[in-house]
Amino acid sequence: MKTSLFLIIGLIVLTSICDTISQICLKTTINSLGEFSSRHFKNVVRFILRLILKPKAWLALVFSTLSLIIWLLVLSKADLNFAFSVDSMHYIFIAIGSSLLLKEKVGGIRWLGTLSIVVGIILVTIS
Amino acid sequence: MSKKKITLTILLFLIFCDILETFTQFCFKKSALSASEIDIANLSQIATFLHSAMTSPFLWFGLLSTISTFVIWSTILSKIDLSVAVPVASFSYILVPLTSIIFLHEKVALLRWVAIGFILIGVILVSLTSEEKKESA
Repeated sequence: MKTSLFLIIGLIVLTSICDTISQICLKTTINSLGEFSSRHFKNVVRFILRLILKPKAWLALVFSTLSLIIWLLVLSKADLNFAFSVDSMHYIFIAIGSSLLLKEKVGGIRWLGTLSIVVGIILVTIS
Repeated sequence: MSKKKITLTILLFLIFCDILETFTQFCFKKSALSASEIDIANLSQIATFLHSAMTSPFLWFGLLSTISTFVIWSTILSKIDLSVAVPVASFSYILVPLTSIIFLHEKVALLRWVAIGFILIGVILVSLTSEEKKESA
């Protein structure tokens, strides 16, 4: 691997952040649409139509595309098994983002899980 | 908001999601390999990089597979809880390294399998007791 590990991990952090922003945009948009109870086909179509009219849904798509582009850059230089394992850090960012921005409750067990992911990522990096 | 228990059909769909996710990653890796000689630290080469990645059919297979995964995953989540779905879905953390070894001839050291174990436990713990969080594999 010629490209430095530092750059690759930095890019994986960036792709994970983009992914997290995309998820949070999507979640807040869907929350703002309110409950969608019926599984009736007409309601599903109406739900999708209302969703694509929200600018934030498009923002989610932009960040999702950005995340994919950075991910491709990472894969051009790093082993897939390495990159895929390190990419699990998006679980950590989503836990932090949900707790800070969406005010969701993140309990003790979930932080313990986050810690376990961190340990795993560090081990992947030094292995 | 209680949902039904996992059925064999849902389990099979979940495993199918794992396989699709692994296939997606394999395709993305293949499309990126076709442009691997480019220096990614050099911003001016990114357009060239994207062009060669986009001309690889693997990128489009990967995108198609991502969209399919998203649709199947969303349907599964309307039937069962996320905390039940994620542990089965995180099986891809084992499937992807296996694919890397078999099809991409990458090497996975013992320490890395230990690390993957930690990540797997972490992912499962994060998803436990989750009512509604996110919609992504």
